[in-house]
Amino acid sequence: MQSRLPTISVRELVESVPAEMPLEVLAGQSGLENRKIDSPRIQKLGLALAGFAHYIHAGRVQVVGQSEISYLNQLEPERKNDALAFLDVDKISCILVTKGLDPPTELLALAAEHGIPLLRTPLVSSIAILHLTTFLHETLAPQMSVHGVLMEMFGIGVLIVGDSGIGKSECALDLIGRGHRLIADDSVRIKKIGTLIEGSAPELIRDFLEIHGLGIVNVREIFGITAIGKPKKVELAISLKRWDEFEAIDRLGIETQEEEVFGIKIPKFVLPVSPGRTIATLVETAVRIYMLKLSGYNAAQSLIAKHRTMVGS
Amino acid sequence: MLRGQVSIVNDLGLHARAAAQLVRLASGFSSRIKLLRIDNAVIADAKSILSVLTLAASKGVVLEIEIDGVDESPAFSAIESIFANGFGEM
Repeated sequence: MQSRLPTISVRELVESVPAEMPLEVLAGQSGLENRKIDSPRIQKLGLALAGFAHYIHAGRVQVVGQSEISYLNQLEPERKNDALAFLDVDKISCILVTKGLDPPTELLALAAEHGIPLLRTPLVSSIAILHLTTFLHETLAPQMSVHGVLMEMFGIGVLIVGDSGIGKSECALDLIGRGHRLIADDSVRIKKIGTLIEGSAPELIRDFLEIHGLGIVNVREIFGITAIGKPKKVELAISLKRWDEFEAIDRLGIETQEEEVFGIKIPKFVLPVSPGRTIATLVETAVRIYMLKLSGYNAAQSLIAKHRTMVGS
Repeated sequence: MLRGQVSIVNDLGLHARAAAQLVRLASGFSSRIKLLRIDNAVIADAKSILSVLTLAASKGVVLEIEIDGVDESPAFSAIESIFANGFGEM
């Protein structure tokens, strides 16, 4: 299982940032491709402009708001040039001017000369930073792919894993027939956002399912839009095992097992597969049990408590 | 567990029919067979066509293979040779 820390170019930021945050490029178009962002954190350019210039973190968006603009504008022209000349231009990924302000011409000239993308948004700094960090946290989250099927069942992201040929996709088809939603078949892209993991389908195979004997099936075309789920937090894992590989069955279901996905532990049910066992029913029941446990009910413990009272111990 | 590297040598790359051939071959072995594309962190199960297609491997791409199981050595040589002869397209 591999992971990576993605980076995006400033062009990708400009093109894929959500519509709530309009961005325009004022200068430095030549740096859109080669200047990269690799941190979701932003930095205010104020201190650097005031002379603490080596403190610029590469790979972050540099935000310039009202205070920076006012500071620059009250400087004598010579000091203004000095303030900008001190900046380490190689470390600046891009500059974002907020509140629709007009940057001083000297800043525009600097951006154009060194190919530093100078962006502008009409939003005020606080809102712009909120949108920007949310977007960057999601976009720059480390990701990996796992082999399995991701379903949305009762609003919960359920990851079904198991060896190839064990019937994960057939199980998914059964679950779709019962009104659950497919998110990804065979290859699930997992993103780690803080302490949660989010699963989605790689663009190429979104909506598709492969069923032995039927080939590639387009779930959206056959079952309609309600059969397809959006990227979802992965909360529960179901591991399908062949009966002969299945050791030490917990007949009571007291112990909670865990599956580690991308360093995050999530509860897991291990279900043995054999002819005559309807896997979809079992998976559906497992999810219901998980939901009951979340709300504080555990059937095994309840039975044990009743039994204890009965035998008087 | 056996590990190694294979390159895509045929012009069309690991396209759908080639992927189907690979999956058919891999499914004949009981070992777990994984294909990894290091440059974009995609990992695929060689027995699943959708998974193999997500590798989006064109000519020249190098994939790592990881095979684990009782028949890992015959599986390894079979997988290596299907890549080497470009899925019969060379």
